[in-house]
Amino acid sequence: MRSGAAAGQAGIVHDTAFYDSDEQFLDVVLPFLQEGVAAGEPTVSVFGEPKLRLLRDALGPASSVLLIDGQGHYLRPAVAIQRHRQMMAGYVADGATQIRVAGDVPHPGVGVAWEWWARYEAAANRVYDDFPMYALCPYDTRTAPPEVLDHARRTHTHVVTPSGREPSSAFQDPHEFLASALTPVAEPLQARPALVDVIDPSPGRSRQAVAALQAVAGLAADDLNGLLVSTSEVVTNALVYGRGPLRLQAWADRGRIIVTVTDRGPGPADLTVGLMPGAGPGGYGLWLAHQTCSYVSMWRGPEGFTVRLVADSPGA
Amino acid sequence: MRRTGFVDAVDGLGQHDHICWVFHTLEQFRQAAGRFLTDGVAAGQQVIYLAEGASATELDHVAGFAAARMSGAALVQDLGIYEPLRPVDAAAQVAEYERATDQALAAGFTGLRVAAQVTPLARTPAQLDAFTRYEHHADALMIRRPFSAMCGYHAGELSAAAVAELASMHPLATPGSTPLRMFPSAQPEVTAVLAGEVDLAGRRLLHDVLRRVDLTPVDGAVTIDARDLTFLDHRGLFQLVDQVRARGATTVLHVAERSPVRLVAELLALPDVRLVMS
Repeated sequence: MRSGAAAGQAGIVHDTAFYDSDEQFLDVVLPFLQEGVAAGEPTVSVFGEPKLRLLRDALGPASSVLLIDGQGHYLRPAVAIQRHRQMMAGYVADGATQIRVAGDVPHPGVGVAWEWWARYEAAANRVYDDFPMYALCPYDTRTAPPEVLDHARRTHTHVVTPSGREPSSAFQDPHEFLASALTPVAEPLQARPALVDVIDPSPGRSRQAVAALQAVAGLAADDLNGLLVSTSEVVTNALVYGRGPLRLQAWADRGRIIVTVTDRGPGPADLTVGLMPGAGPGGYGLWLAHQTCSYVSMWRGPEGFTVRLVADSPGA
Repeated sequence: MRRTGFVDAVDGLGQHDHICWVFHTLEQFRQAAGRFLTDGVAAGQQVIYLAEGASATELDHVAGFAAARMSGAALVQDLGIYEPLRPVDAAAQVAEYERATDQALAAGFTGLRVAAQVTPLARTPAQLDAFTRYEHHADALMIRRPFSAMCGYHAGELSAAAVAELASMHPLATPGSTPLRMFPSAQPEVTAVLAGEVDLAGRRLLHDVLRRVDLTPVDGAVTIDARDLTFLDHRGLFQLVDQVRARGATTVLHVAERSPVRLVAELLALPDVRLVMS
């Protein structure tokens, strides 16, 4: 039995809300969490400070709401999905009929590029749909840019307000949204001439070319290894699934390497690819990139399909 | 301690070393074999030079070889004795070298060393398959006995793919001969060593290698020393684990602390893979 607006529904119920004050935030989020607790449902909050403290104070010390610090939780969408799915699988195994999760997805208003989080919000409708998940993603209209607020309406089926819950008239099928809405984040480093520009490199040659930029970038060992794995996997995908010629370009600065891989093909049909592992061998390449890189962008353009991998080592 | 890796010289190899020497002219092979064998003579080993149609005096121009031949420390054999038109009988051949090693020891030598130009034994697909398997078993013999070998393959007479298949069964190989190598380990708890790099370019090769290497599980596990594996993509990890799984075993993977191999294996978190960091 599912409580609240999700009663009688299967799979994910994915709501958004908009607020411009702490009071409005609490007016929307507190009832959502308290209803879950009252219904005996696993109830999870994933907000960073200062919202975390606000909720902790409002809920009181005896609350059974699981308070996760969103700061560390929402670093990479593919990692967040993996953690949420593991967590929900555990709750379902223990007999839960609904899991409530409220959280704030990062965006440029808090210093994080939006693109792959927009993909996350659209993909959530699919990647969590095998769980009885009731999700609430509130956005702060004081900090979230207009594009983010627009995308929130287009990726959530309903909007919650203190006075009720209404269908979002802007909601789009995730596939339609992903095919049209996203523009890759601008990377100023790419305005410089590429330090690597190679046509049809093998995966091994691609790794060598990127590894050579370590002299400039000085990335931490794990960050470099993650980028080498990602580059190799994305080049392999382009060679196996894409259409030639394949172009590898890379840029580097202290603490940062950017790699783009472009092939002439249309790219994967499903642009949620990479957020979840695919089935079996061959289905993990983009997912590994999403697990290890600081940022991954994908787009279709006149020159074909491009994957851009960014590795950052702050303080390098 | 056996040496592993890619080398472009045969000097200074030890009593258990096994090298794949890919050459472009027979003279190149003779020169390298001469160095390899006279090193062996200097270390008190009995040595054998083995080549198609080899004449007894073929290496006499190499300093010290003629004298070693006169004393019985160096032997020259014609490859023709191995019936080069038929696939090698791996078990019989390994047993033969084990006997020869014992005889060398009984005669007062410190071990046996062979330099063999074996291209004619790997020309057809059936020969190639049999010979790669033989290389693996011979390598296991080299771990347990003071027996070392240099296996010469003519790059002009074999395809690059065939050379890679042969080279991949050796702990030591000439640079560029193969992207990956898999061979037995001197550590008893390790089933096999996988070294080099595994990606799209080595996909087919890894498939062949995994068919040929002895991956018999011990206590339900196949332990792979992957510390010298510098790269492994996710498809390669699946390939390896699938082969072990088919033997009803779990995969224990020894990996270097900071390596892409560890990263990929940790992220994939396959339920029947256990990582050991070193």
